[in-house]
Amino acid sequence: MKTIILFVTAFTLSVLTLSAQRIKGSDTVLPLSQQEAETYLKQNPTASITVTGGGSGVGIAALLSGTTDIAQSSRKIKFDEREKLKAAGKAAKEIIIAYDALAVVIHPDNKVDGLTREQLADIFMGKITNWKEVGGTDLRIVPYSRETSSGTYEFFKESVMKNKNYMNGIMSMPATGAIIQSVSQTKGSIGYVGLAYLNTSVKALKISYDGGKSYTEPSVANAKNESYPIVRPLYYYYEAKSEATVKPFVDYVLSSAGQLIVSEIGFITVR
Amino acid sequence: MRTKLQQQIAFFIFRSLGLLVIGLLFWILGFIVYHGAGVISWEFLTTAPRDGMTAGGIWPALVGTCYLVIGSMVVAFPLGVMSAVYTSEYARNGRIVRLIRIMTNNLSGIPSIVFGLFGMSLFVRTLGFGDSILAGSLTLGLLVLPLVIRTTEEALQAVPATYRTGSRALGASRWQTVSRVVLPVAFPNIITGLILAVGRVSGETAPILFTVAAYFLPQLPTSIFDQAMALPYHLYVIATSGTDLEATRPIAYGTALVLIGVVLCINLLANLLRRRIGKHAHKS
Amino acid sequence: MSTKKLRRAGEYVIEKLLTVSGAVTGLTMLTITVFLFKEGAGLFRSPSVEKGYALYVHAENPVERLSVNEIKGIFDGEITVWNALSSDYPHAEIVPYRIEDIFQRYSESELGEDYALLPDKLAEVIRETSGIIAFLPQQYAPTGMTGVKTLPSQDIRPADFFGGTSWMPTATPAPLFGVLPLILGTLFVSIVAILIALPLGLSVAIFLSELAGTRTRKWMKPAIELLAGIPSVVYGFFGLVVLVPLVQRAFALPVGETAFTGSLILAIMALPTIITVAEDAMRNTPRELREASLALGAGHWQTIRKVIIPYASSGISAAVVLGIGRAIGETMAVLMVTGNAAVMPHSLFESVRTIPATIAAELGEAPAGGAHYQALFVLGCVLFLLTLLISVSAEWMAGKQSSKIL
Repeated sequence: MKTIILFVTAFTLSVLTLSAQRIKGSDTVLPLSQQEAETYLKQNPTASITVTGGGSGVGIAALLSGTTDIAQSSRKIKFDEREKLKAAGKAAKEIIIAYDALAVVIHPDNKVDGLTREQLADIFMGKITNWKEVGGTDLRIVPYSRETSSGTYEFFKESVMKNKNYMNGIMSMPATGAIIQSVSQTKGSIGYVGLAYLNTSVKALKISYDGGKSYTEPSVANAKNESYPIVRPLYYYYEAKSEATVKPFVDYVLSSAGQLIVSEIGFITVR
Repeated sequence: MRTKLQQQIAFFIFRSLGLLVIGLLFWILGFIVYHGAGVISWEFLTTAPRDGMTAGGIWPALVGTCYLVIGSMVVAFPLGVMSAVYTSEYARNGRIVRLIRIMTNNLSGIPSIVFGLFGMSLFVRTLGFGDSILAGSLTLGLLVLPLVIRTTEEALQAVPATYRTGSRALGASRWQTVSRVVLPVAFPNIITGLILAVGRVSGETAPILFTVAAYFLPQLPTSIFDQAMALPYHLYVIATSGTDLEATRPIAYGTALVLIGVVLCINLLANLLRRRIGKHAHKS
Repeated sequence: MSTKKLRRAGEYVIEKLLTVSGAVTGLTMLTITVFLFKEGAGLFRSPSVEKGYALYVHAENPVERLSVNEIKGIFDGEITVWNALSSDYPHAEIVPYRIEDIFQRYSESELGEDYALLPDKLAEVIRETSGIIAFLPQQYAPTGMTGVKTLPSQDIRPADFFGGTSWMPTATPAPLFGVLPLILGTLFVSIVAILIALPLGLSVAIFLSELAGTRTRKWMKPAIELLAGIPSVVYGFFGLVVLVPLVQRAFALPVGETAFTGSLILAIMALPTIITVAEDAMRNTPRELREASLALGAGHWQTIRKVIIPYASSGISAAVVLGIGRAIGETMAVLMVTGNAAVMPHSLFESVRTIPATIAAELGEAPAGGAHYQALFVLGCVLFLLTLLISVSAEWMAGKQSSKIL
């Protein structure tokens, strides 16, 4: 009983203390933010940072409703999201913290090495359904997509499918880790993941954006020299008014120590 | 003769299916224990996740679950016990009692994700608590309310009516009877119900998805308006996301084992308690 | 005298307090209902095209209205000529246009302060392109300018919602909210789960109540009850790492995340409930019935089949219904193993998407108050009503059981 009373008092007392700095949004940026927060907190033990995922849309919606301080996003803020913020009297500041290349992954036993943008688009729109149509064996293609919330889903749709919609009833995985897992278990699978998630259990495809003239494999170097086409910036958005609170952390992320973490995780540094 | 043979065949089938199912259920337990046991260590239980969830422990998730359990019990226990006392000791109007009973019965059938929706709409948005321990506790508290009510009602009804009439005959008021006679006798059974509710709360994921759960908190929550990590959500997260699933898997097994351990221990405790009370009741 | 008064007042307060908490509990259900419907209510009054946006065409274009599916077809490049839409328009080619496209033609500075010149520039583009269909934010749209026609917006129709067969909540310009695949997927997975769990659960119940010795039953029954307490996310995790690859290999399927995998894990989860409820019902068979049957020379098996099971049947059906109810509402385990593809369920070995999984996966991302958000709340209402229906019928069946005791 005593402990309960103690806890309750602790609860009520602590209501008065300041709430933590909150980072919310894209699952792609999540591991990066988490690592950055981990090391940042080692140096500033008095600071407090919460990192949550949920998708880029979640983060920006939270920025709008004031339930987060920084929205991490793997896509640029949408026109109407910016308008909504403006209507709420908020101005979003945008910082690019890193770049990410999207790798298209297949089962390691699959013989196909590369695909063109058009072929990829047709696969995810459900127009190409068998690997033999793109030079592979006679095997049904099983495309895996992310949930509709994720910036990865939107970016892939924009960049590869030129804003066309995904096929009806595509398999959608709640998180990138689940895509890797499913692709590594499924013979005919194809999916897309951030470069940082790539491991040996899946095979990354070479991609051509010029109709098959040249294929480039996804790697940090190729993304940096811009020969790999599916690259996107990763953003932090915060409200201009709260700049003073979030600035130290954002500066840390952009510092050389912060950017070292960026490349350790497998993203591409800003500079 | 034919019926004898039939019986033998049927019984053989039932016995083997029965053993199969039991085996299956224990296979699941065994699988988690087998893979998770090696991960559990003092360090695993008492440190925060490190290196992008591939190392370290589950301390903040344990603490978060603790907070949620306490918070939801603060909500559900008084409310549940009081309304059970009302329906079984006070209410004279049968219709109201029946209404409450129907409501609680149906409440217990509502899927937990619907509670999540409701919690998000009412506590997170309408009342403006945001994603917080407060919102999560209220949601979970409502979720287990029917359980608390039902077990309390059963406990109260198990108290012999003679105790009440005796007390009233001695001139005690209704409340005196309830507080001095009925509740003390029913107390152990009520606590059993409370423990069951704790077990339920510590394992729920869906209601906390949108009301409190955080992916990563380097520090423990300091106020009821903070988000918290929680064991079940932590397991979901490390089972499906993370940059390096291979490296995270052992941690996932460990988390699953801890989660099962916590929930089973709690339920076991309730079971033992119930059995001891049962024995006592028989003796008296 | 005064202490007595005080005490009486105290008792009065306590009685009122108890009444209030009783009422609060009774009202919780009502509150839940109210909030679910409140959040979802706006859905059928939201425009079918994304809020704040509208579609614009060239003034000479005779098209009057487009259905949601036609809009999607146009912007997906499946419908490419206006003639295909039975609108007799000479400039046959359709040119889909989005607000982003204008920034390829003009730089931000050319559009003026706060995009003041944007409407004029857009009007210019529309006048130039006779086959255009432009999807623009109303705030900057060239509404009412010469040469521009606004397509009237329609509200989302209940028929499209409940009868639609594709669920693409984030498709632009017009999201598709067809919940039929989700509802059917939920029912499909749950019912198959019960079909798997019922024979197994009944066998175990018969085994426990009729065949097993007292000692076996004494440890087995609580053990099974304990298993009911394992959190669903643990079952989901087990399904993810064990059942998914197992199902894939065992049936040589292209994918392991199927409706069947979901049903399997749900069946495993429902087993403890079914076993305990069915066993209780069987053991409640009055001893006289059992003994009368045996005395008439019936064998043990005959007694079970002809006396005990019929007697316990309503208890068993209550167990089944309860099991379905739990399976329908189960979220995490299903989310982790079924692959979540929103297709009409047509095979056990294809992926499905259930209502709870959809809510869990999408609610966090849906902008609060938008059509998608509202649609998820309406889905919550559907789920709520389904489970309500089920628990009421379970109660009714259990009631039949108790009235049977003569």
